[in-house]
Amino acid sequence: MKVLISTFGRDDFEKVVQAMRRLPYERLVLVGGSEAAESMALARIKELEELSGHEVTDEIVPESGFMEIVDAMSEILEKHSREARGRRNEIILNISGGDKLLGDAALFAAFRLGVETYHCDERLTKLPVLKGLTAKDRFTPSQVRFIKGVDGPSVPFDRLVESISPGNRQPVERVMRELKKAGLIETEVMSGKIVITLSESGAEVARAIRTT
Amino acid sequence: MVAVFGTLGYRPKSLIPTIRSTQDVDKVVFYCGADRNDPEAVKNVADAKKGVLDYCRTMKIAADAVELEDPFDFKRIAVKIRGDIKKHKREGKEVAVFNIAGGTRPTSSAALLACILEGVPTVYVHDLTYEEIHLPLLRMEYSQVLSSEERQILRTLLKNKSKELTEVELAKLMGKHKATINHHLRNLIAKGAVRLERHPGDSRKKIVRLEESTELLLGDED
Repeated sequence: MKVLISTFGRDDFEKVVQAMRRLPYERLVLVGGSEAAESMALARIKELEELSGHEVTDEIVPESGFMEIVDAMSEILEKHSREARGRRNEIILNISGGDKLLGDAALFAAFRLGVETYHCDERLTKLPVLKGLTAKDRFTPSQVRFIKGVDGPSVPFDRLVESISPGNRQPVERVMRELKKAGLIETEVMSGKIVITLSESGAEVARAIRTT
Repeated sequence: MVAVFGTLGYRPKSLIPTIRSTQDVDKVVFYCGADRNDPEAVKNVADAKKGVLDYCRTMKIAADAVELEDPFDFKRIAVKIRGDIKKHKREGKEVAVFNIAGGTRPTSSAALLACILEGVPTVYVHDLTYEEIHLPLLRMEYSQVLSSEERQILRTLLKNKSKELTEVELAKLMGKHKATINHHLRNLIAKGAVRLERHPGDSRKKIVRLEESTELLLGDED
């Protein structure tokens, strides 16, 4: 099933209608703050959808905190891509509605999850998000295992070796160097032992891996 | 040279905190523009632009205000900003940070897209507290997520975008077997990077088209 998910603000009737007209869909999901959920615009869109015998699903996201909105948006994208009996829906995302923070957070989440994305107002612009390619795909399986292994504020390197490649430090050391070079982890020596922490970008990768 | 990039709307306060918090700024480049049919918006943007330029002059920082012809044209803005970042990098200058808090919605989102594609550190400035929020951006490099054969196909299509290439013609041009090209094309179609269109003169043939979005992904020099 094709699901159109659009960001939405309380004055965005026209923008959403443009997206509904120009993008193919079978189910419509609108994502906005609590004010948008109570707006006249949403009521009008619901009326329009009822004419086709369908309901609109509205999802509320936090109104501030960029990463909180990204996480909420990622959950919504993931939730609506799941269909009964393990099947996947095809998600099309429009980011032109709502305020700047919401639109930008939605774009961020789209790159995280590899969702086909558009910016639709008077013009329709397809954005260069490669479908199905998630943040996880940018890393090798050993790098993903390493990042997943850093499950606390800081983790001793020896513990990571034990969980990733027991008794074989060399490949884990190589991964550690790669991730450090990419700015995803930080290392420090505490009581003679190497301790790993995720950088801000590393934490984002960890969040993205958890979502996918 | 350290440069701060930003988008500007009505409020200099959404951009200036980033200039203050960045060490040794040599240059500020900011993008602004207003709906020309809205005199109030035009005035507000002009006032904000003057505010940032005055601040930079006082601080003896070079400033470049880039007027956007249409601040609602997402694609054009994204292409412009990405091109400017690339040019800066080519000249060996560092883009220390890009502030995407100001400007129209399409301007801000287009700037975010350019930052994701170019791996530029990005910040927001909180609407009320004017505090900076650093976004944990990860560069989206197509070389990481596409195979070398897929990248080669995309580059060939980009180079020949004025031509209407069929699958067979593309294979011939690249010196590859049709079946090999067909396999990679199917993957690229699944990723939404290319599409097949019916040939206008021969309905049995299909033309391979690069998606508009892929041109944005590849950038101007790839």
